[in-house]
Amino acid sequence: MPKRILRVNMNNLEAKFEDLPGDYAALGGRGMTSTIVAKEVPPTCNPLGPHNKLVFAPGIVTGTAAPSSGRISVGGKSPLTGGIKEANAGTPFSQMVARMRIGAIIVEGKHEGDDYYLLKVTMDGGEFINANKWAGKGLYSVYKDLFKQFGDKVGICGVGIAAELLGGNSGVCFGDPEGLPSRYAGRGGLGAVMASKGLKFIVVDETGAPGVEIANQEVFKAGIKKLRDALTSHDVTKPGGALNSYGTSVLVNIINEAGGLPQRNFSSGQDERAEKVSGEAKAEEVKKRGGTRPHFCNPGCIIQCSEVWTKPNGKDPVGVLEYESVWALGPNSGIYDLDDIGELNRACNDLGCDTIEAGGTLGVAMEGGLIKFGDAKGALKLIEEIRHKTPTGRIIAQGTEITGKVLGVTRIPTVKGQSLPAYDPRAIKGIGVTYATTPMGADHTAGYAIAPEILGVGGTLDPMDPKKAEVSRNLQLATAAVDASGYCLFIAFAILDIPEGLEGVVESLNGVLGANLTVADVAPIGKSIIDIELEFNKKAGFTPIHDRLPEFFIEEKLPPHNTVFDVPDADLDSVF
Amino acid sequence: MPIDLKLFGDLRKKADPKVLGTLPLRLKINDPEITWVADILRKYKIEDNEVSHIFVNGIYAGLKKSVKPGDKVSLFPRNMGLLYKWYFKREEDE
Repeated sequence: MPKRILRVNMNNLEAKFEDLPGDYAALGGRGMTSTIVAKEVPPTCNPLGPHNKLVFAPGIVTGTAAPSSGRISVGGKSPLTGGIKEANAGTPFSQMVARMRIGAIIVEGKHEGDDYYLLKVTMDGGEFINANKWAGKGLYSVYKDLFKQFGDKVGICGVGIAAELLGGNSGVCFGDPEGLPSRYAGRGGLGAVMASKGLKFIVVDETGAPGVEIANQEVFKAGIKKLRDALTSHDVTKPGGALNSYGTSVLVNIINEAGGLPQRNFSSGQDERAEKVSGEAKAEEVKKRGGTRPHFCNPGCIIQCSEVWTKPNGKDPVGVLEYESVWALGPNSGIYDLDDIGELNRACNDLGCDTIEAGGTLGVAMEGGLIKFGDAKGALKLIEEIRHKTPTGRIIAQGTEITGKVLGVTRIPTVKGQSLPAYDPRAIKGIGVTYATTPMGADHTAGYAIAPEILGVGGTLDPMDPKKAEVSRNLQLATAAVDASGYCLFIAFAILDIPEGLEGVVESLNGVLGANLTVADVAPIGKSIIDIELEFNKKAGFTPIHDRLPEFFIEEKLPPHNTVFDVPDADLDSVF
Repeated sequence: MPIDLKLFGDLRKKADPKVLGTLPLRLKINDPEITWVADILRKYKIEDNEVSHIFVNGIYAGLKKSVKPGDKVSLFPRNMGLLYKWYFKREEDE
């Protein structure tokens, strides 16, 4: 059976399989979503109108035995940035879709009226079920209901109340292996795009799925062995390594010591209280409470950086508390208590919010005087306004930029309307270049995870040195290629140091595709994806002035290093 | 004025085998023989390969970074080596 596209027309509630066009055969993940969005979505359309489309695509090796490869990309025109968007997540849902030989699910049109629908996808096609009874409810209880109704072997994707409000602060939520609504393709407000069409949930049932077709088993197996060996031997990715022991939050203490962990709406880069919400502190608490650590977000992951955070009594699991979430809902809001952060993260998951955007929103809400920095109870109450769909909740659901403007805040940490993540660009300037220039709006994942050495830039870098254009460009190209592969970005840490690991990645792609790619093809693949995205954004009205950080990063010194973001505009313009 | 040293994770056991909790271990070093970061590692019998990240006054540094009274030095163990180790140049004075 060849790979297919499932085209979902929300105008008439029709879902039909189509043949995958030949020129899409080698695409996956971000490569697939951005290609389809660029081809089928008018760049100037209203992101929440009938002409936008929402595209889901598993990666090239997703659904196979390749380790740490269970990623799914979600793409469309972003209501937050106004440009093209790809957000991705690790989840069993992606593996099921891939094994069903669905290369992409394209959701188009817009259902008239106020009804919401659930789309059930099987090998035979799609079936629509009225989902009104699950609207206005938190996703933790709804996901339980859905697994009860459809069985515990299905994969679930959905959007929450924040999306019902058409909020730019709404993500697309996937279930983790335990069924918790905790794995988010969170950024850019794609949840609102889904809800705007009248679609609340997608349930996939892979019964009868043939599995991913592998053109050359021998090459594929040799490739994944090389990658597996690299991942299990590298200090960052191996069992007992940094990610496995402490999760992504291992970065809290590191970035804090480096003076780049934004505190209280980016007003300082360091605070000793951050030590109380570190990866070490969290890992020990998870152990004490009987939570789960390490944990995988999708079966077959070797790195296992995830976890299941619970209340102090070991009950009411939240899911993972990622570094970015801990930072956004913690230090950036002046909150230094893991239980407070855990409950804020629970509320975000339940309501369907992106934790980074939600934390950025809390930061400007606190600066704007709505509540005080450090007021955890007030922060939770504010996020909960979304559940009650109050006027304040509707503003909060729109994210950092709109909330900041409503409150008259001038220090709004966004690029292209999207909130900055957990690295202050005044202390780590290369990431600032990526925030400014990526087609995605401020996004840390767009260009930091592949080391310069792989790309032939050579040498390591001074984080304070403003000359970062070439490095950022190469990182963004490589990241786009990884996002297309289906591999988790964290494999980069191993394949950086172990060349056989990178070879293994390329061989695994060749094995699936029957291609003859080499390591030298990685950057050009990434470039082809970013070129498509940049062209879309240009047609949507983006110019170089959109590739800038907010003024306060350029003028306001960040303690403790007292540096500003001083990368010249000409350097930013030279990235692409 | 002493050097303020922070040891993270398992490195804390080098200075206090009975250390509890998860906060970094804070130590004050008054030792005229300490000139370099490498001297601090020697003082606590820490092997070079047991350390991933070194920060001196918030600057990512190497073993040959000089230290003086009043400096703040942070040492992370090998199993906490994420991000800086891979991307950034260690500042050194020699």
